[in-house]
This record gives sequence, structure tokens and C-alpha cells, in this order.
Amino acid sequence: MSIGIAGADYTIDELMVVTLARQFDNSTRAFNGAVSFIPVCAYLLARKTHAPGLVWAASSIAIDADPAQIGESTLSDSIWDGAVMLSNSPFDFWAWAQGARYNTFAFRGAQIDRFGNVNNTVIGSYDAPKVRLPGGGGMADLGCMIPRIYLWSTTHNPRVFPAKIDFRSGMGWGDGGAHRQELGLPGGPQLCVTDLCVMDFHPVSKAMRLKSLHPGISVEDVQQATGFEVLLPEDPIPVTDAPTADELKILREEVDPTSMRLREFPQLSKSA
Amino acid sequence: MDKVITIEEAAALVPDGTTIALGGLSMNASPMAMVRELIRQQKKDLTVVAIVNGMAVDWLIAAGCVRKVISGLVSFEGMGLAPYFRRAVESGEVEFEEYSEYLLIARLKAAASNLPFIPTRAGLGTDVIGLHPEKTRLEKDPVTGEAYVACTALPVDVALVHAHAADKDGNVRVDPKLVWMDNEIVNAAGKTIVTVERIVPHSSFVAEPHRTTWPRFMVDAVTEVPWGAYPTSCFPEYTHDTAFYAAYSKAAADPSQFPEFWAKRLAGPATHDAFLQSNGGVDTITRIKRATR
Repeated sequence: MSIGIAGADYTIDELMVVTLARQFDNSTRAFNGAVSFIPVCAYLLARKTHAPGLVWAASSIAIDADPAQIGESTLSDSIWDGAVMLSNSPFDFWAWAQGARYNTFAFRGAQIDRFGNVNNTVIGSYDAPKVRLPGGGGMADLGCMIPRIYLWSTTHNPRVFPAKIDFRSGMGWGDGGAHRQELGLPGGPQLCVTDLCVMDFHPVSKAMRLKSLHPGISVEDVQQATGFEVLLPEDPIPVTDAPTADELKILREEVDPTSMRLREFPQLSKSA
Repeated sequence: MDKVITIEEAAALVPDGTTIALGGLSMNASPMAMVRELIRQQKKDLTVVAIVNGMAVDWLIAAGCVRKVISGLVSFEGMGLAPYFRRAVESGEVEFEEYSEYLLIARLKAAASNLPFIPTRAGLGTDVIGLHPEKTRLEKDPVTGEAYVACTALPVDVALVHAHAADKDGNVRVDPKLVWMDNEIVNAAGKTIVTVERIVPHSSFVAEPHRTTWPRFMVDAVTEVPWGAYPTSCFPEYTHDTAFYAAYSKAAADPSQFPEFWAKRLAGPATHDAFLQSNGGVDTITRIKRATR
């Protein structure tokens, strides 16, 4: 697999970043976790284009950071340059997360289910796992605290989107419907952006629903790559809006000139 | 009272079977020199509390020092899974008591505040709170009926943290300021041992008291170890060493290679200086050093 798109002057990673960036506005107050190159690029791109007032705390720590390039870890000091404040985790960060002062968070996982719940804990059974993953980290916490959750995956396939995830490390819409509300949790997942398509969530059932297809991808492609039935909207499904020349230039030259975002595409490093 | 001791003496304050808590976050600011000394002293049956960690936990497991890990996440971020942690948990050789980051912070806060629990909405609806239902209890507010998770106190025997400066009395400064969760573990611990980049005169604390992170009554022992967080970072002075992470992961993937790597580049060197030398010495330091040091 490649990240190229036939006949286009942009690539999948760029399309994913731009799609996410357009979700954010001046009311966005975001932060990021580990291996989050795509959302980090998206926050920076939004801030450098249509949302100059967007708040981004690099690594959840460095507020208003403005790095000249993105470093090899999205959880390290390599992206803190230009920050106005290095915030303290328990006192500042968790207070602001629980109080919804931060309102936007993007996560991905080894598995994502149709209600946007995420697993980053184990593949297989918990007690005798096939793969012991790193652990959810702050996922179980933030999924419950942050009202605007965005999901992304650079590897849309049935392993990542199975019928059932092996462990719920992070709360999306839970069991669907009003589950979050019943638990007293704010908001929920808004969008899931993958290398094949963009999905939103049905307003009532909260199940994943196809919103747009990346160029050259069909409904059947998405369905085959997904372990559960993706809902289809009533209207024809559009092609995901292409990035503008301006967005591409800023992303390539100012946000991520060394293309660290490609680290999220394992299919590239294997072929390299 | 002079609290400055050698790293050998500091590690000797950690008996087998102790519950230790490690400072830092992921690839940032873990007390690696202290961890290496625990390994050299062949500690056994440690319970290791590490909220979000990677290399320190992996070393201790590789060395056979660990009975149980209490954590929210152990990985090398984009550089992959922590190899010995993964194997030991998959095989059941090491017990993993798993929480999320904030549930663990709340448990430590409860211990620090001498409270039975701290309530939070974190974890509601996830499988994480069901892993240890007696430690993270699903409860309802008796008045409003709202659901919450009661995070019960998690006391720690010894906190091990790395900081920038201390005086002989044990006043400690994280410079420019504390950005990790080290305060939670220091406050929850019965004893705190701090490794520092440098010992500074007491007058330096008096001159800038607003920059002090922990006062002497919170600190039991201080050890001077320049570059003591290597191969993790010590912001803003030096960053983590990607090359070490890569070399370690590569060696760990090959059981025939690992003992040599372990002896030469990790546990073998007698001092932290020698450890730095065996990992590139000046070249490495030049590579990781930030302009602010």
C-alpha cells in the first residue's frame, strides 16, 4: 500500500491532517498524547490557517507551543519550543481536563469499535493475551472527561475495526445510544478519520456512519476493511474534500517540514 | 542534617520487596541512574509504581528485580513496545496491576491526603475500572445518585525521582519547574530519594525560594548524578537518547545478543559515568544536550 492518490497532488496523510484540521476552530482547546503526529499536525495547521485562537498544549504540557518542526516523539520536549507555559500534569492538566477547560482530544487505538470505543490494552483475552499492548494510559480518563473526541487510524482494516474490541480502554459512545449521558459523561466521539474514509456517528444510535470516501475508495472497500457494518447515510456519499493549495503548502513547509507524520504509516516503513 | 549520600548507599535504602514509585513520564526524566544501581544490587520482588513509563520498568524486569508493576502505560512510544515488559506480562512472570493514568494519580493523591479514596468520573464505562474493582470502586453519590469511581489510597514505600538541583539539607529544585507527576509519588511515599544533576549551595534556595519544588522534610536522601536521567531526558538540559532506545530494542529482540549488550552497555559499568562512556560518552552527550545546559 502507498499513501499516494492517483491523479491527486496530495497524499493520504495530508488528506487526513487537513480533514481533521477543518474540524477545529477558535473554540478548540486541545492537547495530545503519544504517537499523535496526525492530530498534532492538524492542530498546528488549523492554528496557522483558519483558527488562530486555537489552544494546543503540546504533549499535554507545553501550552501554545510553536515548534519549527515536529520531533520524533509527540510526548517529549522536541515539540515544546515557543510555549507560553509548561503546565504541570496533576495540578494543571488534570484539573483542566476534568473541568472541560480542555475540550478536544484525539485518540487512536489498536482496535476501534463501531461506537468509537478504543482498545490499547490487550489483543486476545486479558489474562492470557496474544499481545500485551502498552496500556491505555490516559485514554480511560480522557474518554470520560473530554466532550469533543476525534478518532483516527492510518490502517483501516478489520483487525483495527473489529466486530468487537477485546478490551475497552477508552470510552467512546460506550454501548451506544444514551450510554454516555446516563453515566454523566460530556459529549462523545465526533468523527473518525482513516486512510480510507471519514465516518461520523449516527445521532441516535451513535453507531459509526460513513460520511465521505477518500478518492478512489468505494463503499465496498470500506465495508470489506471493517469488521462491523458501517451505517450509510441516506444521501449520496461524497468524496472527502481535497486540501487547498494553501493548506498543503503550510502543512509541508511550516507545520511538518520533515514529514514526521509518516511515522504513523507502518506500511511505509516496512516497504522502505 | 547532611542528606547527601552515594548512589550505592541510596540504593541500599531500598530493601527487597519494597514498593517503589518511579518519577518521570514516558521518555522523560526517570531516575535511571538509581534504577541501574538497583539492578546492580540485584534487588528482588520489587513492586514498581510507574504511572506512564517505558525504559526504567523494562530494565528492572529484564534484570529480574520485579514482582509486580502498577502502571497505566509502559511503552517506547513510536519506537515500539517495551520488550521485557511485554514478554513478562504475556507469560505471567510479572504481575501487572493496571489502571489508567488518572485513576493511578487519584489513588496516589488519596494516599498523600490520608483519605480512603478520591472520586472521579475517569474510567466510567470502560473495562479498566473492572480490573481491580476493590481498588477502583464503582459507586453512586448517595445524595445525587451520580456515578463515580472511588480511587482508593495507594501508599508507596519509596519514591525515586530525578531533579535538577538540591542542597545538602535535601531541599530540591526541579528547574524550571515540575512538569511530571513526580509530586504525586513523592507525597504518597513514606520515603523519598532524589538523584540530582548537581548539589548547589543552600544560599541558592534562600535566594530563590519561589523556585523550590520540595522542602527538606519531604526528602530523605540526595545523590548527585550528572546526566542521571540518561537515556531518558531531563528537560530543559538534555533530551532522551533515541539511539540508545533503538539499540536496546534491537538487542532485546535477539536473545543471543542481549547478554553482551546488557553487560557492556547497561548493567556492567560500575558507575554512571562509566555507563555514559560505554554508550558513546562525549559524542552522546553532545547529541542529547540542549542549548539550555
